[in-house]
Amino acid sequence: MTDSYLPPTMISRRAALVIPLGLATLRPARAATEPVRGGTMVMIVNPEPSTLAHYVVSAGNIPMIATQVYEGLLTYDWDNKPQPNLAKSWDVAADGKSITFKLQTGVTFHNGAAFTSADVQYSLMEILKKYHPTAPVVLAELIAVETPDPETAIFRLAKPAPYIMKALAARDLPILCKSVFEGTDVMANPTANKPIGTGPFKFVQWERGQFVRLDRNDKYWKPGLPYLNRIVARFIPDAATRSAAMETGEAHFAGYSAVNYADVARMKTNPILDTTTKGYEMSPALSVLELNSRRPHLDKKEVRQAIAYAIDRTFIRDNVMFGYGLPATGPLSRLFTPSGLYTDAVRRFDVPDRLDIANKLLDDSGVPRGADGVRFSLHLEVNSFGEQWLRQAEYLKQALSQVGIAVTLRSEDTATWLRRVYTDYDYDISEPFLGQGIDPVVGLNRQYLSSQIRKGVTFVNNSFYSNPEIDRLLDEGRSEIDPAKRADIYHRVQKILVEDSPLIWLIDVQYVSVFNRRLHNHTTGPLGTYQAFETAWLG
Amino acid sequence: MRLFRYLGHRLLLAVPVILGIVVLNFFLIHLAPGDAASVLAGESGAATPEYMALLRHKFGLDQPLSTQFFVYLLNMAHLDLGYSFRNDSPVVTLILDRLGPTLLLMGTAFAVALVCGTLLGLVAATGRRTWRDPVISVMSLVAYATPGFWLGLMMIVVFAIRLAWLPTSGLDTVGADNEGWDEVIDVARHMVMPAVSLSLFYLAVYTRVMRASVLEQTGMDYVVTARAKGQTEVGVMLGHVLRNALLPVVTMAGVQAGNLIGGSIVVETVFGWPGIGTLAFNALQSRDLNLLLGIFFVSACLVVVVNLVVDLIYTSLDPRIER
Repeated sequence: MTDSYLPPTMISRRAALVIPLGLATLRPARAATEPVRGGTMVMIVNPEPSTLAHYVVSAGNIPMIATQVYEGLLTYDWDNKPQPNLAKSWDVAADGKSITFKLQTGVTFHNGAAFTSADVQYSLMEILKKYHPTAPVVLAELIAVETPDPETAIFRLAKPAPYIMKALAARDLPILCKSVFEGTDVMANPTANKPIGTGPFKFVQWERGQFVRLDRNDKYWKPGLPYLNRIVARFIPDAATRSAAMETGEAHFAGYSAVNYADVARMKTNPILDTTTKGYEMSPALSVLELNSRRPHLDKKEVRQAIAYAIDRTFIRDNVMFGYGLPATGPLSRLFTPSGLYTDAVRRFDVPDRLDIANKLLDDSGVPRGADGVRFSLHLEVNSFGEQWLRQAEYLKQALSQVGIAVTLRSEDTATWLRRVYTDYDYDISEPFLGQGIDPVVGLNRQYLSSQIRKGVTFVNNSFYSNPEIDRLLDEGRSEIDPAKRADIYHRVQKILVEDSPLIWLIDVQYVSVFNRRLHNHTTGPLGTYQAFETAWLG
Repeated sequence: MRLFRYLGHRLLLAVPVILGIVVLNFFLIHLAPGDAASVLAGESGAATPEYMALLRHKFGLDQPLSTQFFVYLLNMAHLDLGYSFRNDSPVVTLILDRLGPTLLLMGTAFAVALVCGTLLGLVAATGRRTWRDPVISVMSLVAYATPGFWLGLMMIVVFAIRLAWLPTSGLDTVGADNEGWDEVIDVARHMVMPAVSLSLFYLAVYTRVMRASVLEQTGMDYVVTARAKGQTEVGVMLGHVLRNALLPVVTMAGVQAGNLIGGSIVVETVFGWPGIGTLAFNALQSRDLNLLLGIFFVSACLVVVVNLVVDLIYTSLDPRIER
């Protein structure tokens, strides 16, 4: 048995003996700010990643492990402002078309190779720009990385790309070791599942179906760090068992809602556990309804607005999301408030007489109720990524029946659902969950640009929304470097989109982390679980 | 010598069976809509046509189905199960990694169910007019009707959370680096709950089959003859009835043993056990066809072997069956 396993009954029995005697503490008092070295932290990652090739697959379960091993040029503080990491300083040119990074010295990769600007150049230009799924958006303007000396890397941009400065953490653009990849087929590199980076923890072992083990990097370039000896990422497919593993103290951390929302309230009453909603400030996500505007009735703006009015988002938040998240107001998450890009000065669907408005809109647009009170029927494609989406679908069916729209739910497995909705376009309404990326250029562009109507590509414009003004504004927003002007552009975009309602925005998703109280310093920035646990320690 | 001829004959017959399974599986699987590239891109939450084309090319999905089939047959002829692109790993490695834990758990559950079920059935049948029969019959009925996943979750609540006697899940304590007997004990502690929840259903089945079978045999003429010879009740039971009564149990056991290799998705999921069942389920969900076909192939081979073993046990229990 290691120190990681301490049955809760042991604690309570000891506490019961000790407290009546009036002894103050069981152990010597220790300031919470004084970290303890050593120990194995167990975190729950769900579902198990299929690969650790973080540079070619951007699935959300990979970076929880990969960012312990790979590092980025920058990290971010609680105001989402860039902070030094592998780059110790940076300078953005006044015209926004070049960024100069001064790199840390004395950094080595886990295989012993020294980290230089050549690794930065190779990672960005030869790997990430060519293979990373978001690169065609985020790195579209990057034309070259110059390396005048081993400690300097200069990004050359075709047009200003203000969002690049938000994408340089390990989660989005990890820095890889050139000598590992050079001359090999990137898609078939053996380090896909044995990552080699510069991070505080080294990859040791992956037992499929069980765990990934990461050990302390004794040669880590940040002096004295990390505190933990080892991180074990465990994979437990059943939600109830994941909760149980937290309750027994077998695991110390479960991020990204690995513990179901339904169980979080119970976790809060457990004396060894606590929860936090911090650490997701750079992970905006929206749950939405996609509407196929090539289907009858859904081609009318008024019908789409009526559907938006018919839904009580607060009800979904309280009952489907167990109180986590906020009712969405439009296509941007509230997490874009600090950058000034978010606005709620749009058409609001959460008005008291929303049902009357919805019914009137439907009456006026020529879809009267039939003898049975039904105006028309639709199929709703249920999101296959979890139980809660079925609950949401059940609510939606009821909500839309109030305005005379009969909804039939259709549940299929992930592959079938994605094919139906993004390749065959054989759907009326789908209820996906969309990550919004580090900047509106990621989330808005792929969903609303007319050029993003791309058959066979998942999570792009499948509502066939096409509005030249939006196309123009989104294009302007991409390269606008003046923050006030940029905010103004995106405010206009939100107003127009909400008016047109090509999609219906339901919930600004809020993830939650459950952690053992013995674990300190686990959430140290807006990237939360998607950054290294280099300063975390077990008390 | 006759045994070897028999074995050789049966193994020869197995070849076309397995070949048929291989071909059928390939085409059945390709009927499923959607492909691995779209699932992977879907999980990434972002993709471009170029990225999807890149994935499809890497997975070989841009080839015509006939080419894919030909490549697959060629690989199978070399006993090469192929590569799981989704997992960036050879299929053989993925399956072998899971085979040990699967056989360990399923084998334990199988042995527990078979031994306890047979004994309980025997005890119940020989105590017809005592308290033993109704108690065992009712308990086996309850066990028969209890869903395995529910039992598993309840055991976690009681034994892992409330009493803290057993760990919730997993194969062993990760990061503990136990050696020798410590590791054996650690794995055994992790296996108690999954093995119990898996074995209970079959235990009930064996109990009921064994009880009925013993009762049937005790009415037979040869039992009367044995009693007339003056044998004791115990002698009659162990010397005559038991051997004949086991035949239907062996049939049932053959069916269960065929399922062993497939693992149990439900119990593996609840207890986070790294078995073949969840591997196959995930492979199906993500349309990882090479992996899925590999699992089907290995399962088919093992089912053929298990059937052969069951037939051999039959003949040793009742030599009359041999032809």
